[in-house]
Amino acid sequence: MKCPIETRENAELLLAYCTRKLDAESNAVLERHMEVCPACREFSSGQRAVWEALDAWEAAPVTLDFDRRLYRRIDREVSWWQLLVRPFRPTLVRQGLPIAAAACLVVMAGVLLERPASGPPAAQPQSAQVEVLQPDQVEPALDAMHMLGEFSYRVRGDAADSKM
Amino acid sequence: MPERVKTDMGGATAALDYDAELMLRVKEGDGASFGLLLEKHRSPVVHFLYRMVQNHAVAEELAQEVFLRVYRSRSSYEPTAKFTTWLFRIATHLALNSLRDGKNERSQERLDKDSSDMPARQVSDGRPSVEQKMVYQVRLEEVRQAVAALPEKQRAAVLMHKYEEMEYSQIARVLRCSESAVKSLLFRAYETLRARLAHMA
Repeated sequence: MKCPIETRENAELLLAYCTRKLDAESNAVLERHMEVCPACREFSSGQRAVWEALDAWEAAPVTLDFDRRLYRRIDREVSWWQLLVRPFRPTLVRQGLPIAAAACLVVMAGVLLERPASGPPAAQPQSAQVEVLQPDQVEPALDAMHMLGEFSYRVRGDAADSKM
Repeated sequence: MPERVKTDMGGATAALDYDAELMLRVKEGDGASFGLLLEKHRSPVVHFLYRMVQNHAVAEELAQEVFLRVYRSRSSYEPTAKFTTWLFRIATHLALNSLRDGKNERSQERLDKDSSDMPARQVSDGRPSVEQKMVYQVRLEEVRQAVAALPEKQRAAVLMHKYEEMEYSQIARVLRCSESAVKSLLFRAYETLRARLAHMA
């Protein structure tokens, strides 16, 4: 057989062999190969050593009050949810409504919290300033229009005089 | 809300595993079924998280969050994959986030404190000698450091492969990658571990 160690795809054969997950036939073929292949023998003994080392690492038992702490958290969450939903319960006919209601409340709370505190009024935007100044600008504009009108009247008068 | 599992299980035609059936009962309001799921998966989840973050307190806190998320998502649960695939996907997601957020910074100083996870080794006279205890502690520390030194995804893959005895396909679904990517992750991880631990043979 082709040496499994030469291709990564086939190396899973060796991994399976070391974890005793290989079927009997493949097991026998691989063992025959390993008799003449030192690289695979080395791989196999190294992998078995890793496996045994990992076996020795036993995790500590779970603390006794794990379930109690979890159920307390669940109860707290359920109570909070029931309090929130109780006033709207008769109108809730769809499953998605509780989520939508909670999301709305969260958004509203966020908007309220983000609102700036009452203080001195902020500076008016530039467009508002233009509107405030507009009446002052009207008089010079009218003067300018009057002057332009007078000028064009005189120009037309001069032109008529020259034709005569 | 935990991420939903979408896999190639074949939807309605796939036979439900017992855990998924229990979860469907939880969805219908059966609290006792949640208790059964907790009883069955509590230790594997805590132990997996412990080996990932190497801090027992953080591992239990993360495991609480895993089961809380399972409970929260009961109303939207659909058995589109094996229950354990979904469960370990949540656990892995939380563990990786915890490692990246550096929440378990104390994990590097845990080795001397976590002597509680030394199992009682039985020898001929019934009790381990002081020497045997010391040898065991040294070996254990080597193993822990070797596993901790693995990149996070390789570590998760090795722990699921070794301790949860998951198939490549299931690990792939948990880690959201291809089977060949999982094989590659495992090959590289075991290669590193062999280099560091082979002398223990």
